[in-house]
Amino acid sequence: MEKLSYDAVVLGAGLSGLMAAHEIGKEGFKVAIISKVFPTRSHSSSAEGGIAAYIPGNSDPNDNPDYMTYDTVKGGDYLVDQDAAELLSMKSGDIATVMERWGTLFNRQPDGRIAIRYFGGQTYPRTRFVGDKTGMALLHTIYERTSGLDVDFYSEWFALDLIRDQERVRGVIAMQMKNMTPVFFEARAIVMATGGMGMLYRHSTNSYINTGDGYAMALRAGVALKDPEFVQFHPTALYPSDILISEAARGEGAVLINNKGERFMKRYAPNKLDLAPRDIASRSILTEVKEGRGFPGGFVGLDLTHLGPDYIKERLALAYEAAKSFSGIDATVEPIPVRPAQHYYMGGIDVDITGTNHDLRGLFAAGEAACVSVHGANRLGSNSLLETLVFGRETGRTVADYLKSTSKPSSSVENIELEKMLDEAYSFVKSESGVHFGEVQNKLRDIMWEKVGVFREEKGMQEAVKEVKELRQQVTKMYVNDKSRVYNTEFFNALELRNMMDLAIVISSSALNRKESRGAHYRLDYTQRDDENWLKHTISYLRGNTVEISYKPVKMTKWKPEPRVY
Amino acid sequence: MPEVKQVEGKNVEVNSQPKSSAIRNEEKEIVVKIKRFSPDKGEWWQEYKLKVDRFTQMTEVLRRIKTEQDPSLSYRAACHMAVCGSCGMKINGAPRLACKTLAIELTKEYNSNEITLEPMDLYPRVKDLVVDLDDFYERMYKVKPRLYPSEEILEGKAEHRLVPEDQRELWKFAQCIWCGLCVSSCPSVRNDAEFLGPAAHAKGYRFLADPRDTITEERMKILVDSSWRCTYCYQCFNVCPRDIEPVTTIKKTRAWSSKMKDKTKVIETGEKHINAIADTIRKSGKLLEAEVYLRTYGLVQAMSDMLYMLKSGRMKYTLIKEVPVKDLNDIEKVMKGDEQ
Ligand SMILES: Cc1cc2nc3c(=O)[nH]c(=O)nc-3n(C[C@H](O)[C@H](O)[C@H](O)COP(=O)(O)OP(=O)(O)OC[C@H]3O[C@@H](n4cnc5c(N)ncnc54)[C@H](O)[C@@H]3O)c2cc1C
Ligand code: SF4
Ligand code: SF4
Ligand code: FES
Repeated sequence: MEKLSYDAVVLGAGLSGLMAAHEIGKEGFKVAIISKVFPTRSHSSSAEGGIAAYIPGNSDPNDNPDYMTYDTVKGGDYLVDQDAAELLSMKSGDIATVMERWGTLFNRQPDGRIAIRYFGGQTYPRTRFVGDKTGMALLHTIYERTSGLDVDFYSEWFALDLIRDQERVRGVIAMQMKNMTPVFFEARAIVMATGGMGMLYRHSTNSYINTGDGYAMALRAGVALKDPEFVQFHPTALYPSDILISEAARGEGAVLINNKGERFMKRYAPNKLDLAPRDIASRSILTEVKEGRGFPGGFVGLDLTHLGPDYIKERLALAYEAAKSFSGIDATVEPIPVRPAQHYYMGGIDVDITGTNHDLRGLFAAGEAACVSVHGANRLGSNSLLETLVFGRETGRTVADYLKSTSKPSSSVENIELEKMLDEAYSFVKSESGVHFGEVQNKLRDIMWEKVGVFREEKGMQEAVKEVKELRQQVTKMYVNDKSRVYNTEFFNALELRNMMDLAIVISSSALNRKESRGAHYRLDYTQRDDENWLKHTISYLRGNTVEISYKPVKMTKWKPEPRVY
Repeated sequence: MPEVKQVEGKNVEVNSQPKSSAIRNEEKEIVVKIKRFSPDKGEWWQEYKLKVDRFTQMTEVLRRIKTEQDPSLSYRAACHMAVCGSCGMKINGAPRLACKTLAIELTKEYNSNEITLEPMDLYPRVKDLVVDLDDFYERMYKVKPRLYPSEEILEGKAEHRLVPEDQRELWKFAQCIWCGLCVSSCPSVRNDAEFLGPAAHAKGYRFLADPRDTITEERMKILVDSSWRCTYCYQCFNVCPRDIEPVTTIKKTRAWSSKMKDKTKVIETGEKHINAIADTIRKSGKLLEAEVYLRTYGLVQAMSDMLYMLKSGRMKYTLIKEVPVKDLNDIEKVMKGDEQ
């Protein structure tokens, strides 16, 4: 197998990967960025609402980083590591300013300073935005910036697996999609910035490419995931594409209705009605659908019509446009079809606030792929973009320091070992019969949605664990029709499915294990938060077909748990 | 009873109860014909049948074909919300984003349940609907697509506040998602190797016009000559899914010609052309093609071209006798307003 040598390899070219690579490259190290899509196609481009930032001199005069930390900790139902949240708040202003200097066209106040808006769960407004395309604006800026450095981009290269020895990471095998040539990227440090995993769920607001590859690669390399049971769902995703319809719609007076035209939220949250928190609204919608009061296809209506065309077009331009372009709905005359969908993954590769993983020397992670634990059990809106950049930069700096102080390993990686990894991946191209990825994938997405989704309970999750195990067995017998050696997406979809399986078993087992309700993890059989027994991080390893679970304390600094009421 | 709310200073009537409650849906069986390609098998058309409803995006059609019918089909798609620029292709012959196109609407627009999908024009094919965009990216990189602020600003020693008006103007052109659709349909890109193409011009102008940028001279050298190579056919304007109007940035870049010290032949010719157009309109209220032509390219070039036109039977157009329009004064006023 061909070999390329780098000081560091960053997997993923979303906001977190590009920021990490920028910091490493700037220090003069040889760094490669591998991404299965051209960088600006990364999922970060989809983020709409904004990025939270406390900017001294340009924030609410009563606000300060402590309030921001508090909001984050409370929003995360106290599973947040408070030192991490403090760092996130402290560096927020600086990182937003850096992006502004690099060219992000943030919306402005009349005097030219960066504008600001409110987001759910914030004591004071602190979300910075570029229209409704904040993610796209930030991603393009950092891509433009990083591509001006001496950094090597490997776009449309698919990373298959990490290579390690007894104690440290040695590199990664990746394949150029255009000609299917595998290459061993040898490196002293690897940064996992591979983003989220929405495709595990039948309904998700995520990109098609979010298949959890990074989590699975880490698991296979013997690395733990932290808090893998925490999956966030958003109540109002557009039917059927699951494009996000922002909470702003309900904030402005949109009403959820069932197929009888009833405003059903009065049954579930008589006081807050349609403005009930995300998890309650999600559960209510699904109950309506389950009990036969949804529309055919399984959705409810988000009715804006009573607000009148002028109001809708002025204040809810995005919801109006999205409904029009992607569902052909004119929201001024008929309701928007919506349903809950998976939205964000709070769990991830276990790292500390420097981005370092302690299972495997030389392994680092940032962004949605990582769990530094700033989101705990539930992420606040506009904190994720912030996390990708703040911790992307922290991680990049850590890696640069690490590289300065570590020497090259003395032995070289055996070719035999590399070929073995590759053979495993290739096995389903070589098979001549078996199941197709499509069949298994659809089943998996249904199981996760029905049994490890918005509602969870013992029996369903037990079934899920069993069924996912069976599907994992089937996946070993998967076969790829297309034997072509050019841009064979069937092969890559099969590899993605293998990754989704490894992650699914860890999510369902860890969820089954946590016997309480906290943040996004809601159990019908344990409806209360239980701080006495469960105020701790789950740490999950995957060994063969079993998930090994242990615990780690939550880091607390100033904030004692209190009930999460708004 | 409707209640009255204030929206940005205006009174708007708002009902407290929703008036409509049903969501109509409809289903249709469609036939999707896809132009397949692989280096080993060459090119062929393949048909798939599937049921879609009123909401089905073409990316979803593709995903379902791939997971349920034919896993060997290759295409690109990621965000399914028109922000990542992955899914550019030709749909019923027109360049579009698959995710921004609804299957049922297409069947209505074209009055047929058959939908054809082909890869974008211009770029070499890799497999099925996937094309090689290396040439497109090269064009984008040529315009140095990044801001070069001053060292003081980078180090935080100075601040350059961008006012909301500038932000709005720049953001319009900064929203290019690198989908490549405009370039695939631009005739000048095909015919003129020196032309950067519409997307690169949009990107380039976004930085040329940014008051915080420090490499303006260099950007002018890169952009101005190229801007005169566009034929103003407006294809890019029509196909861009983000309404960027690349051709508008080209027009705006041409206006920078006067600031150039060393003008290329193309720029000089272009400027002459524009001045000639302005003059003929000033004189007659009309665009006098023949006169513009003569003034732009000079008599010798014009004569040799005319010989060609005579041969090809197109000479008659240049010989039409033009009469000035009425209300010439009004036109003059409009032009003056425009030039100020
Ligand atoms: C619809 C939507 C709206 C959102 N809005 C907001 C918001 O307003 N504010 C906010 O703070 N957050 C928001 N989020 C969350 C936020 O967008 C994401 O969490 C964040 O962008 C993740 O960035 P990342 O750098 O971790 O990963 P990504 O941007 O997902 O990048 C992952 C990268 O990894 C690469 N990769 C993955 N697997 C492989 C592999 N096997 N081989 C090679 N490369 C690979 C991909 O190619 C990609 O480049 C939103 C999310 C969604 C779904
Ligand atoms: S207007 Fe100019 S840039 Fe646009 S498609 Fe036509 S020739 Fe190309
Ligand atoms: S200018 Fe428009 S059509 Fe052209 S690449 Fe950019 S987004 Fe696509
Ligand atoms: S899939 Fe992203 S633009 Fe269509």
